[in-house]
Amino acid sequence: MATLPLWPALFVFAALFVAPLMYFFAVSFWTVRARIMRPAFSFQNYLETITGYGDVLVNTLAVAFGIAIVTTFLAFLFAYAIRFKLGRFANLFLLTTLITLFGGYLVKIYAWKSILGTDGVLNKAVLSLGLITEPVSALVYSVNGVVITLTYFLLPFAVLPIYGSLRSIEDATLEAARDLGATSWPVMRDVVLPQCQTGLMTAFTLSFLISVGDYVTPRFVGGGAALMGTFIENQFSFGFNWPLGSAMAFTTMFATLLLVVLVRMVMRRALQP
Amino acid sequence: MTRAGAADTIWIAIAVALALYLVLPIILVMLFSFNQSALTSLPLTGLTFDWYRKLFAQDYFPPALQNSLIVGLAVCLLSVTTGTLAALALARMPPATATRILYLLALPMMLPALVIGIALLSYFVRFLTLRLGLVSVILGQLVIVQPFVLAIVYARLQSFNWAIVDSARDLGASPIRAFFTITLPVIRPTLVGAALIALSLSLDDFVITFFTIGSGNTLPTMVWGMIRTSLDPTINALATLLILASIACAGIALRLSRYRG
Repeated sequence: MATLPLWPALFVFAALFVAPLMYFFAVSFWTVRARIMRPAFSFQNYLETITGYGDVLVNTLAVAFGIAIVTTFLAFLFAYAIRFKLGRFANLFLLTTLITLFGGYLVKIYAWKSILGTDGVLNKAVLSLGLITEPVSALVYSVNGVVITLTYFLLPFAVLPIYGSLRSIEDATLEAARDLGATSWPVMRDVVLPQCQTGLMTAFTLSFLISVGDYVTPRFVGGGAALMGTFIENQFSFGFNWPLGSAMAFTTMFATLLLVVLVRMVMRRALQP
Repeated sequence: MTRAGAADTIWIAIAVALALYLVLPIILVMLFSFNQSALTSLPLTGLTFDWYRKLFAQDYFPPALQNSLIVGLAVCLLSVTTGTLAALALARMPPATATRILYLLALPMMLPALVIGIALLSYFVRFLTLRLGLVSVILGQLVIVQPFVLAIVYARLQSFNWAIVDSARDLGASPIRAFFTITLPVIRPTLVGAALIALSLSLDDFVITFFTIGSGNTLPTMVWGMIRTSLDPTINALATLLILASIACAGIALRLSRYRG
């Protein structure tokens, strides 16, 4: 009886999240003949994913991993400054982070397209300063654009969990460590970093997962950089090979989860006080 | 300057640089929406509202706005209902169990929206044979918005004094009456806050909408179409409206709900 109010939410979760994913997983074993999906139990799609898109997958994981590392590092710097260094301005910076969580994913990508593009703010500014004579497209039509834009998008999401962990560190603990003669790096390594392990891992995992599944950024600021999300989306927008798209999505998710587990193990060991 | 002083200056410089990285692109988009030149480049050439006029004159703007509002309100109402009910149940459970259920229900926040979007697409079209449209968009968004409402309301209920509800119940009030006369008035600001966050997430959502809408547009899918076909500051005007709407919702919500992560 007391759990009755929980049921609507659980129903939404089961009917609109678990069921679609299970059905979609089943589809990954289906076959397509004459452009029509037929229920089957075949590993053909997974085989095709590995042989046809293996290098794209590796490339995607590498790019997403890089983005997640950069984002987590910057987020830590920002959260640390907010928690310990900014004094009465801390709330203003925290508010900035919270506000920039919103504003929309597509709008943010568009913002970077208009900054980095060949007609963009950056190129125009550098051109008018006479530093270059031709617009540079290396920033936008390559993987650099994807890294800059996704890091920008993910940063607020990564700052909040890290800040949450840092908030639970008592000032007294840090003072005690310093009074006992520890200098700033040992305090950081032995007190601060181990205590915000959870926040760091949440930030990393979230950034990694979102970057792996992105398909809009590569299209608009990546010059169609060969990333998995784009190829998966193509199976649904143009290719109409849903079973293959499903196998690609699940292979990517599985590889991503493996890496996340691995990173968590390494991080836990590295952050042992 | 002392060594500690220099170190602090570096930290402040880092924080300011990162804050600018977060804020400047959004400000640029807004500035260009009022800029006379059709090129998005500095320096600004003069103030104009032409891009807004051009945006409102487009025949696909009113239906997209209408769709966004319908979806936003529906998602808002549904997610606040299911999320609040769940939070009420969780708040009276042992914290360990509650946390586990909270994490479980938050799983949709962790998966890339692309995966949820294509899974929903195939499920709606092939399994449920539902016609894609606003209903499928609402159902799709509900899955990712619900956990946010749940987390916000649950956080508020952590500091809720259940003794007053228990006294009302002891004095003979039904659970429903106790909720409407006691719990609801106390948590109302949080609920309004959660509702605005839900609205803002729905207005911003692109990926789930993209895969579940079929034909038709919401404001974000309209932005998508415009980025692909044209490159003039009309997009900036639309983007500015979206930014302002979602940030205004979120800003009011943060004040009301006092939710801090």
